[in-house]
Amino acid sequence: MKKFIAESEESKKILNIVQISSSLPVNIIITGERGVGKKLLAKEILPQAICFDGKLLENSIINNTVNIQQYKELIITDIHLVLNKKEFLANLSNIKIIATAQTTIHDIEEQFAIKVNISPLEEREEDLKIISQEYINSANKIYNTNITLDNIHLDISQNGISLKKSIYKNTLLNSLNSEEINQALEHYIDKKLDEQKTYKDFLKVIEIPLLNIAKIKFKSQLQMATKLNLNRITLRKKLEQYFGNNHE
Amino acid sequence: MNNFYEKLLEHDLNPYFIFNANGKILKFNKEAEFLLNYVSIKELFNLAVDNASQDFGFSQKFIPLKFNKHEYYAILVGYTSDDEIALRLYKVVSNQTNTINSDKLKLVNIFSLIELSKNTTLLNSNLKIKEVYDISLPEMKININEFLLCLNECFKYFIEDDEITLKVKMKVGEYEVIDNQKYKIMSLLFSANRMVKGDHTLEEKANRSNVNIFFSQNSIKLELPIIL
Repeated sequence: MKKFIAESEESKKILNIVQISSSLPVNIIITGERGVGKKLLAKEILPQAICFDGKLLENSIINNTVNIQQYKELIITDIHLVLNKKEFLANLSNIKIIATAQTTIHDIEEQFAIKVNISPLEEREEDLKIISQEYINSANKIYNTNITLDNIHLDISQNGISLKKSIYKNTLLNSLNSEEINQALEHYIDKKLDEQKTYKDFLKVIEIPLLNIAKIKFKSQLQMATKLNLNRITLRKKLEQYFGNNHE
Repeated sequence: MNNFYEKLLEHDLNPYFIFNANGKILKFNKEAEFLLNYVSIKELFNLAVDNASQDFGFSQKFIPLKFNKHEYYAILVGYTSDDEIALRLYKVVSNQTNTINSDKLKLVNIFSLIELSKNTTLLNSNLKIKEVYDISLPEMKININEFLLCLNECFKYFIEDDEITLKVKMKVGEYEVIDNQKYKIMSLLFSANRMVKGDHTLEEKANRSNVNIFFSQNSIKLELPIIL
């Protein structure tokens, strides 16, 4: 994602705030969970600014390995992890700062006249839709597929980070043909052979997903045995082996 | 000789007023003129009448008074006829003078700051704001960071209300003296449909941003010098 998506009412307001404040000599703190787009928003305000991790910058200032006064504006991420925040900010007194944090920090409120909190993606449906669409378009382009969002379980437990991962992973999995699956398996087996895995262990890798999907698709063991052309006693044994007695 | 007494009083650090029977000011000195920025004529007249002696004469009372930053420890009220009454207030002496750190002042449009503070503080609030703005106000020099913190606190104060009115205007005929220079005054009046009461955090933030703050009945008023 190259820019902050502002489709929901809340995000539009936030974007408006940062646009007004971008020209003012005030520090801004952006809070929100991991992956909500804090850094992207910071870049909207100061597109040319250098970005530092708060804790690393604190260490660099302490060890005198950075000439901080050369900067007029800075983006500082994860400022909540800085140990001595007041002293840290005192070193940056003449610099315009856009800081990001995962939590609200009360002891440095005075240094940030503008505070913006970005809600999690689950509360920003319109944004989620657009962001997901952008990710799926990009994934389809890379994997040369034509997957739609309806085919994908979107994981937003870590907002944009898990969302992107779930979309790319699902698109990749949907794009594989049998030859590529073989290649993937060979790659896996090649790595695991040295770990004293047995024939049975590798068989498990193939059989568990096969039986799992067959269970969902065919519902009864009779149907499963018929469709897979497998002896019912063998099927029962395998189900018990992989899923225990509660395999029904 | 009379002229000399008048000049003496004119330069006195303690303000004085002479009212007629209807509460209209007949005479006052420089200090009294500044005091009128923070307190109404009616309030001062009532103060004089309420504390006047029963018969003609002069009476001193030690009562602590505070009008914005100005503190007084006593008053003198006197009248020798039914036509005039005089009020003199005795200032608590302080070495503090009104100064401002001009290094931190930046020229800015006040309405941008109000918009910014409103949007930031009320992002998820349902508060409706009726805006009555004098848009002819010029850009002025403000300590933006401190003023925004003060404004944020004002909006936060009303965050649970349904509706407030915000009036922004330049005060006519009133000035503030900072570093011996006279400045016009801009006021921001937040009015609600309920009583408001003093708020220590808000007062502190106002003081830090060189803003005078007044709490009265259902409103909070911020006043700041227009430094161009």
